[in-house]
Amino acid sequence: MSRLWKEFSKGLWKDLPPFKLVLGLCPVLAVTSTAENGFGMGMAVIFVLTLSNLLVSLVRKIIPAKVRIACFIVIAASLVVAVELLMQAYAFPLYQQLGIFVPLIVVNCIILGRAEAFASKNPPLLAIADGLGMGMGFTMSLTFLGGLREVLGHGQLFGHTVVWDGFEPLSFMAAAPGAFVTLGILLALMNFFTNLQRKRKGLAPVDGPTHDCGSCGVCGGR
Amino acid sequence: MREMIKMIVVLSVICGISGVSLAALKSVTAPRIEEQILSYVQAPAIEQVLAAHDNNPIRDRKIFTVQDQQVTIFPALKGGSLVGLAFETSGQGYGGDIGVMVGFDPESGNLSGIGITTMKETPGVGSKVSKHGFTSQFHGMTAEQARLKSGGGEVNAVAGATISSTGTVAAVQKAVKIYNELRSKLTTAWQ
Repeated sequence: MSRLWKEFSKGLWKDLPPFKLVLGLCPVLAVTSTAENGFGMGMAVIFVLTLSNLLVSLVRKIIPAKVRIACFIVIAASLVVAVELLMQAYAFPLYQQLGIFVPLIVVNCIILGRAEAFASKNPPLLAIADGLGMGMGFTMSLTFLGGLREVLGHGQLFGHTVVWDGFEPLSFMAAAPGAFVTLGILLALMNFFTNLQRKRKGLAPVDGPTHDCGSCGVCGGR
Repeated sequence: MREMIKMIVVLSVICGISGVSLAALKSVTAPRIEEQILSYVQAPAIEQVLAAHDNNPIRDRKIFTVQDQQVTIFPALKGGSLVGLAFETSGQGYGGDIGVMVGFDPESGNLSGIGITTMKETPGVGSKVSKHGFTSQFHGMTAEQARLKSGGGEVNAVAGATISSTGTVAAVQKAVKIYNELRSKLTTAWQ
């Protein structure tokens, strides 16, 4: 049980996908013009990520190592098409907003990254916990970033006006450059807090959002 | 060799399963998706071109076949009798096809208005064909009047956007042709 919680909760802070792993930045930058778009994108990613983790984990023993990436991609792509169809059928306005970024979930590094680094080496239950945690972390980050940009760029949050009279919205924040600037500032803040935490524990500060090898595995621990 | 066969079999099986399940999902969601596209993409144009009505034109739509082409026709009913008809045609524009929703008044056979559904015309130039100033000209016109002035009709083209204007008018004329062929069938279709 504690293992399950550990795998679930790491996606919420310790390995927060966009800010700590710095993965999946394409949708992070592109669809976070409003909090609602960020949230919708996050929900789609939770769905795809959890199910792809589960399926990859179920078939991990029968997939030959040499074609594993191809198998992971087929699984992820099928799930994404399923999401796209369901979104068109039941949430058409959201589909119109997200547009091309729904099919692009296939190439979101988080999906393949979790399949390769975690789901292909762990039993289904842990893989689901990992997918849910990572997906929720991703959704939180996108909603937060989207909310920040929506308030500054439109003076609204989830479509409701939240600012005082006379507030002049910065249209810059709603456009693409605003996403880069906001993400950069958030990353800097995250790093600052990470190092503050490490200092309190008496550890040496680190450069950038890197931490441990547990979530990556690209180099195989070398 | 065994490893190679295993690779081929596993990958094929996975692809096969995903293909079959997606095809199933697609056929299950297709009618619902069609409904959604109609109500979000075409409904505004339909409302714009039809006379006042008390039914839901999208729910009451019917499909007709003209010259081996399928046309979905949206009726406007008032108190059970037909007061308007609308359907979509397309004409060649500058940046691709221009989708035009054309409304007809079944009593006189004149146009009751047009609305642009989809287009990729140059923003600020050709895109003006979707603006009220251009589309409102067609209201109440006969088929003969609904041509550009240069073609003997009464429609003012959008300045600097001859191709977009011509494409829109071509779509309207296509709709007139379809309407004339279907006219006898249409008056009784919703009774």
